[in-house]
Amino acid sequence: MPASNAIMINREGAATRPRFPLRRSLGSLVRSSEVGLKASHFRRPWLAAGLVAPQLLILLFFFFIPTWKALSLAFVQVDPFGGTMIFVGLDNFTTLFSSPEYRDSAILTLWFTVVQCLATLAIAGLLAFATDNVMRGRAIYKGVILLPYAIAPAISGVLWAFLFNPTVGPLAQMLHELGFAWDPNRRPFDALLLVSVAAIWKHVCYDYIFLVAAFLAVPPSVMEAAAIDGARPVRRFLTVTLPMAAPTIFFLIVMNFVYGLFETFGIIDTVTRGGPAGSTNTLVYKVYQDGFRQLDLGSSAAQSVILMAIAVLFTFLQFRAVERKVNYQV
Amino acid sequence: MASTYVKSITGLFAAGALLMGATGAHAADRVKIEWWYAISGKLGDTVQQLISDFNKSQDKYEVVGTFKGNYEETMAAMVAAYRVNQQPAILQSAERGFMTMLNSGAVIPVDQLMAKQGYKTDWNDFIKPVAGFYIVNGKPAALPFNSSTPILWYNADAFRAAGFDAPSDTWQGLEKQLYALKEKKITDCSMALPGDFQWSLIENYSAINNYPFATKANGYAGLDTEFVYNKTGVVGQVARLKKWVDDGVLKIAGQGVAPISLFTSGTCATIINSTASHSGVEADAKFKWSAAVMPHEEGADVRNGTIGGASLWAVKGKSEEVQAGVAAFLNFVAQPDTQEWWSKATGYVPVTNTAYRKMKAEGYFKDHPTREIAIEQLSRGEPTDNSRGFRFGNHNQSTAILIEEIQAVWTGKKTPQEALDNSVKRGNEILRQYEKLHAGK
Repeated sequence: MPASNAIMINREGAATRPRFPLRRSLGSLVRSSEVGLKASHFRRPWLAAGLVAPQLLILLFFFFIPTWKALSLAFVQVDPFGGTMIFVGLDNFTTLFSSPEYRDSAILTLWFTVVQCLATLAIAGLLAFATDNVMRGRAIYKGVILLPYAIAPAISGVLWAFLFNPTVGPLAQMLHELGFAWDPNRRPFDALLLVSVAAIWKHVCYDYIFLVAAFLAVPPSVMEAAAIDGARPVRRFLTVTLPMAAPTIFFLIVMNFVYGLFETFGIIDTVTRGGPAGSTNTLVYKVYQDGFRQLDLGSSAAQSVILMAIAVLFTFLQFRAVERKVNYQV
Repeated sequence: MASTYVKSITGLFAAGALLMGATGAHAADRVKIEWWYAISGKLGDTVQQLISDFNKSQDKYEVVGTFKGNYEETMAAMVAAYRVNQQPAILQSAERGFMTMLNSGAVIPVDQLMAKQGYKTDWNDFIKPVAGFYIVNGKPAALPFNSSTPILWYNADAFRAAGFDAPSDTWQGLEKQLYALKEKKITDCSMALPGDFQWSLIENYSAINNYPFATKANGYAGLDTEFVYNKTGVVGQVARLKKWVDDGVLKIAGQGVAPISLFTSGTCATIINSTASHSGVEADAKFKWSAAVMPHEEGADVRNGTIGGASLWAVKGKSEEVQAGVAAFLNFVAQPDTQEWWSKATGYVPVTNTAYRKMKAEGYFKDHPTREIAIEQLSRGEPTDNSRGFRFGNHNQSTAILIEEIQAVWTGKKTPQEALDNSVKRGNEILRQYEKLHAGK
């Protein structure tokens, strides 16, 4: 039975974390037995290297080289065509940190990311909880909720922009008739709300599918025991399902942050273009605006470096927390 | 990420396959001239027509035109391509990118190219406002291609219903008319705000009323120019626009809707937009429309407006035979016949006097009076330092700042004076940055 065998090895590997990996890998060279090695161990390193190479190449071209480029541009002022270049030290950074526009953009990004993250998770959680309790038509229900994920951000962005356009949008007309002075071109809050709703709408499906899977993975025996003890569905959800789905929720918080910080670009570009007056100009969109629209490559590179530092720090903190607090084993 | 990777790989294969296929084919005998352009829609179709006409006119060269997005996107694509030596042979670049291209070190001055390839172009034939923009130290840097200026488009039916024959030629008079259109419930939107309002309602406004926009003759006399539009009538203009926006007279189209479509659909009664909207308006507007010169302030010393649009740049780093092809194509574009055809098909102004005179002699402007408005507006009065045009380094950046600050006026976050003060302050930082980088140019 190869399947159970693999699991055993996995379990063993996970349970006894090697204290001295070096000594052990040296030992594996002389020892003929492979007991205690991970299932993914390769005896011939070139095969492993060959299998890893495509991924490393992608990383090289899409991460290491761009990182190097960004770093090399962050400390200079440069003509877009690269003809003239002046080393300016930390000028690009000091200019950014003393600019009220950059500070506003940072505050906005934080606000936007946190609200988007929590709202997405809450709505997806509610829908997943409902799915868990839906008896008939579950497939259709799931399908409908997953649809937005199949629509390209640019397309959905244009639709949102049009539907809520204060001059011609049908939904904006409805809001006007209800007495709301809806105008995302002139009211920063409306613009931010529109972008947030569009971003949440797009990402709910992602959270939803993970949560549905996590809720399904809760052992029925535990749920039944809770039911026998008299816990109603909502109580069971809050006290049994949620804690058991904690690792997934934690993962989703990380993913939502990454999404809010970096991947809402397409929606912002089509719905508001960062306006009005920079009220939806998040840090990532600003990098694009300053770098690709206005060709201020030095400042744009400095902003990318700051974002990269945030991303690295954030990932590091999250994974430290994941290792300590969240138990992946049921 | 992965999908881009896959795409570039398949692109590579496709390019390889094309290359192999092409060697056997007849098309390989022609030298390919790559041209990146930035206008789309009906104007883009006309560009493709122009290319195909050129390709049919001779059998040595084949111009391949690629639409690379709007002006900013095309410029960004050019910058990226130039850095890895994948640039096109010809680039269409907007007036706002003029200094960037001029000082890029990536272009061949067009008169040099034409002289070297044995073409005689009469640079004195270009109409004054166009020549005034593209000629640096007596020499043209690029070939003026699509030149336009903003004019006032109006719904003649709506104006007649309100009891007006035509729009007033002053802002004060126009304001009364726009408010009347709204109060008489003829329209819910008297005017649509154009997407490039900073060009028409601010820069052209400043030139037409003969206000200085910046020191050093708006940048013509040196890189040490400084913005001064926060001390001129521009402040009052922004205050006026803010009032109109607040009163619902002036509507901001916003994302998802092209401002000009608010006019052509009949939603808004007027718009100040490029004369190049002619092809679109003629095709789409189902009501009686007309156009007029942009208004000016009461009692102003009225001058010419400034041009917008773009020119064609010959890009460095191409083989001799490609350069010869570029020259052949630019020569084709500069011919009076081509100019005339292009102007008629698009609504851009004819950029040479010969083409203009030819159209006039044919009586074209009698049948199409609105086609002449742009030329009239561009040649009002003797050009001054304030009206000749704008030459600012990194003009795209200071423009983006100006738009952002004016948006802060729409939202009520800042007064017009505060916003323009801040815009000038931030814009001057951009100018100093450019001056530092290009000292001695």
